[in-house]
This record gives sequence, structure tokens and C-alpha cells, in this order.
Amino acid sequence: MTVAPDSLDVLLARLADGDRAVFTPVFQKLWEPTLRLCTRLMGNDADGADAAQTAMVKILERASAYDRTRPALPWALGIASWECRTLLTKRSRRNETAATPAESDEGGGVEEQERRLLLEAAMTAMGTLSEADQQTLLATFWEYATPVGGATLRQRRSRALTRLKDAFRRLYGLD
Amino acid sequence: MDSIDLSTLERRARLRYEVTMFGRALLGFLPVLGLVALATWLNRRTTSAAVFGGVLFATGVVALWRGQLLRRAVLPGVLSGLLPLVFAIIANRGHACASGHCSTYCLPACTAGGVLAGLVVSIIAHRRKLGLPFLLGASAISMLTGAMGCSCAGSSGIVGMAIGFGVGAVPLTVRALMKR
Repeated sequence: MTVAPDSLDVLLARLADGDRAVFTPVFQKLWEPTLRLCTRLMGNDADGADAAQTAMVKILERASAYDRTRPALPWALGIASWECRTLLTKRSRRNETAATPAESDEGGGVEEQERRLLLEAAMTAMGTLSEADQQTLLATFWEYATPVGGATLRQRRSRALTRLKDAFRRLYGLD
Repeated sequence: MDSIDLSTLERRARLRYEVTMFGRALLGFLPVLGLVALATWLNRRTTSAAVFGGVLFATGVVALWRGQLLRRAVLPGVLSGLLPLVFAIIANRGHACASGHCSTYCLPACTAGGVLAGLVVSIIAHRRKLGLPFLLGASAISMLTGAMGCSCAGSSGIVGMAIGFGVGAVPLTVRALMKR
């Protein structure tokens, strides 16, 4: 398989090697998917943008440690999702310590809150998985081309999903 | 969503990238401080050895931080520089006396070590087809490593090593340049 010289994998490997000329292209290629992921995970645009900015700094901070044998986008989004998970956890702790829980008068608000809690729970369960499993699931989520395909990818995905379900069950006692 | 200032964000990310790269470089070259301490302890001219050690440390950290070919030059540079360093330290343990005048073997040891170090660096650069930044980086680091020991004969030891290094490195380098 030939890899395009401007692919994120190649550019991030060059950045890890110290080639500063590719910093801006890497930044540009990562920004959109990171923002999309963070917006989805955080549940709203404002928090998503804040989380994406923090995540971008974290991703590029760790660029020197990027392992070139792994696909770059799942690696980067793994860091971003971890960052979002941390922010969600902080937020939920803040909410827990808030004086009185406000009764929501809108059904949509409750639904949104439940959805976010569920997402947060899923991210916590995801955090217990191995890095390889996390990357497989992220690659599936983003329909990103991984180095393996076909039956191998399906098997990996199935095993990762089973482990995610097990982790979820172990943590929360339900599917 | 408020509009995000991407250029500010990119600058922030770039700064963190540089800080991390520098931290990794500092950590990566830290073991060389042990070598500097040992060379300083074994050398009679401790100040010169320490000064060359300090310059070596700074050069190594910068090379690792800048990355690419300079980063690849660090290990071959230090390892090849061990040749004149070890030669000089061993030579400095003994001396020869003739017609009432005594001297150590420091200068010939440094020259011989320099020739070998120059050969090693140029062979690596030639075989791996690495460019000028590698050659310059590896040569600088190699000579600074060797200089910690070769300061035993004062500036003549270092000059001897540098000439030896040139003698070892130049033929292959010139051949490679002529082939281009």
C-alpha cells in the first residue's frame, strides 16, 4: 500500500522527527475532525470548541511521541476523546457539588442530560479498554481507513465491541 | 459558537510542541552528563574538560531538540568521540622520558583517536547516505566528546585530534561529494 506524502500519517511522522515545516499542515488536517469529535462528545458547540482547543494543544504536545507504525487520525482522536472524557468528568463533579439540583422544566433538557451522561459513561468504559481497542472503535466511528481491512478489521471491531460491552456491564451493571 | 482564533491556537500548540521536544531532548541527553563527570574526574585539566563537557551537553541537547538529521547525528557522534577520549585518558596514565625530558602519550593518542573517529563518522554518513547536517552535527559532537580527554595536552591535544579527525573524515566525504 502506498501512502501519499501529504497524508496525516506521513506528516505526523515527520513532525515527530522534528520537521517543523509540516506543523501547520498537521494542525489544519487535525482541527476539523477534532472539533467534530469534541462537539459530539461534549454535547454543545461552545464546550466542544473549548475541548477541541485543549485537545489540539495536547495532541501536538505529544506529537514528538507519535509512533509512526500506527494510523495518525485514530491516535490523535484517541487523545482528543480522552481529553473530552476528562472535561466531562470534571463537569459532572462540579454539577454534583452544586448546591441544589435544578429541576428541569423541559423534557428535551432531561433527554439531553441523559444522553450526555450515557455518553460520559461510554467514554469511561472506553477508557478501560486497551489502546488498540480504542483505536479500532474510533476508526469505526470515523470510518477511517486502518492498515488492516476486511475480515481482520471486522474481527478486531467485534472483539473491541465485546470488550466495551463487558467494561460497561462491569462498571454500571447494565448493557 | 464564538469564532476560534486558530492562529493563536496554533501558536500555543507550537509552543507546547517545542517545550515537549526540548524536554525530551534534555532528558535524552542526560546520561551524557555521567560521561562528562567521569571524563572531568579522570582528566588532570578538570576545568577544560568541564567546559568542553558543558558545550557538548548544550550541543547534544540542541541537536536532539532540532531533530531530523541532527538528531541522528547524536549517537554516532558521541560513540565515535569516545575513541579519542578513551585513548587520551589511557595515554595520560603513562609517560615517556628521554634525555631528561618527560612527556605523556596524550598528543599521539588524540591524533590517532581523531583519525579513527573521523573515519567512523564519514563511513556512517557515506553508508547511510546522510547529508551535510549529519556530518557536521556528528563531527561537532564527536570532537567535543574527544576534546574532554584531549585537553590533557592543552590546545595542542585538541588541535591534534581535530587534524586527525579531518584526515579520517575528508577522503570519504570528498569522494561522496565528487560522486554527486
